[in-house]
Amino acid sequence: MGMDEQEALIGRVTRCSTRGFVGAVHIPKPEVPTFGDFCLAEAQEGRSRVIGVIYDISIQDDELARQMAIAKDPTREQLADTQRARLVPVEYAALAVGYHKDGAYHYTLPPQPPLTMATIHAMSAQEVRDFTERLDFLPLILGAPQIPVDDLLAAALRTAAATRPEEVRRPYLVRAGRACARLLGRDLPRLENLIHSLQP
Amino acid sequence: MSLDLPQILPQIDAMGQSLARRAEALAQKLPAALQELQAMGLADRQALLERVKRAGDNWSGASPTEEPSHQTFPPPTHPPELHVLAADGSQIYPDRHAASFYFLINVGGIHIHHGSGRTPETSSAPRLFFEEEDLYLDDGSSITSEFINGMRDAAEMGELARMAEACAGQPTLALLDNGLLLWLTLQVRDQHRKQADRILRQYLEHLDRLKAAAAALAGFVDRPRNANVLALLHLSTLSLEGIQPDNLRTHPFQGLTDRALFAQHLPPGHRSARFSYTSRVYKDFSAAGHEVQFFYLNTGVEDHGPQSGEPQIARVEVPTWVAENPERLGWVHSGILEQCRSTGGFPYALVRAHELAVVGHAERQAVQELLGRALLRHGLQPRISQKALTKRWTGPRRRHRL
Repeated sequence: MGMDEQEALIGRVTRCSTRGFVGAVHIPKPEVPTFGDFCLAEAQEGRSRVIGVIYDISIQDDELARQMAIAKDPTREQLADTQRARLVPVEYAALAVGYHKDGAYHYTLPPQPPLTMATIHAMSAQEVRDFTERLDFLPLILGAPQIPVDDLLAAALRTAAATRPEEVRRPYLVRAGRACARLLGRDLPRLENLIHSLQP
Repeated sequence: MSLDLPQILPQIDAMGQSLARRAEALAQKLPAALQELQAMGLADRQALLERVKRAGDNWSGASPTEEPSHQTFPPPTHPPELHVLAADGSQIYPDRHAASFYFLINVGGIHIHHGSGRTPETSSAPRLFFEEEDLYLDDGSSITSEFINGMRDAAEMGELARMAEACAGQPTLALLDNGLLLWLTLQVRDQHRKQADRILRQYLEHLDRLKAAAAALAGFVDRPRNANVLALLHLSTLSLEGIQPDNLRTHPFQGLTDRALFAQHLPPGHRSARFSYTSRVYKDFSAAGHEVQFFYLNTGVEDHGPQSGEPQIARVEVPTWVAENPERLGWVHSGILEQCRSTGGFPYALVRAHELAVVGHAERQAVQELLGRALLRHGLQPRISQKALTKRWTGPRRRHRL
């Protein structure tokens, strides 16, 4: 594993299905994982890599965390201990929006989910750009139940646009907006809201 | 569910009534005890020591130190920087109904460098015991839970010593979640004495290391149930001739605890006078240069939710090499209070050490499962006892779902 890949490692899979996976990391870095980020988890003994969009990041508490939160003025060491040393993993959930296999991207659910403890990497800017060139991942996001689909869609498209040179960002978002219009044809208020969130 | 709750309900109510009656009766004894504490503090110490000597080895009362018994001591200033170390242990006892006979000891430790702002260092060290010499005592009988507890206590002390050596020479408070006594030495029968002595020697060696590292070692006992000071109060009222085994056994403060007495006596943050143990139980410790003293401490925090201002009385045990060194005793007193500030009366460092040590039900099962698989890999057939198996049959029930 090269230095870059080390850098991009954002945790390991704890549970999953073909629809997506949940990863955990001890201490998050400020930039990863973030809502709407693209990430990759190895599956099928390395033969495929599932592409996920992060839609939920959560940290569980326990009674000690609650006690420390209301304590009058906990010491700096206690705060550092609670935030860094205690084994409270940061969990993030990613929605599967495609997979990479045999040198090509596929815009459908993966044939098999990753295994528990599979490594999860952030996708590089180039990879995000290549994957999002086709907009065929949009239906998988739009069709996902019980998650904030519209916000996720807007965040993912903004991430995708940001990996492109300045001059093609707007055309890209316009193209994405049109694709969404086709998919959300009958739901005008929702479409308007989405287009609004895509504007810089 | 085989426990018939409706049958217990009236018993539970009777228990509540009885406890309330007893609490009231005990509360009536308190003023007299407090008065006696005052009188004893002002009395001649030599005369008191004479009585303690007369009471003999079997009497389990406290002995006064040079600090007058009724005096209370406000918290000294906390040093700007203090290394706070805490260790705790947990175990899986051997189960003859399980697929294999083994036990496990897990020791957790935390090193908080108070005042540095640094993230504390934590450790968790599990050790599996499975060799014949681990599992059987010298006379061939299976190892008992007392021995495993003794080994765990020694491992906890060893972890404290390891951490203390890393910050030797700097102000250090080393906390243990219990008294300093090795209970094993009290519990073993004569035929196992040699093996218990081996563990005691290890334990005392760790104490030597802590002493050499100049750490302020303290055993923290939450909700103590002892009545050693009350026994001393009673002794102080007896005439020298009156000190007879029968008179010592029954006394007017029977049923009260030192904790109840000092809850009335100690303002928040204050500690009581130091006392020493007379019991022969501590003889091994004294002989090795680790005589143990104790005091009571009100760790109650004035501003902490519903328990605000309520006295929280802990018993703190310290070796004399801490007790008689005002600086180190100060670290114990102010250090424990500081650790208790955000947790409402129980030291934060010990909360974390426990968290790092504890082996829960799920982890116990995970170990069992891993062991089962290891046995299979090596050509053995893991099999739990028929009794354990039948217990599983009657355990959880499943619901029919469509």
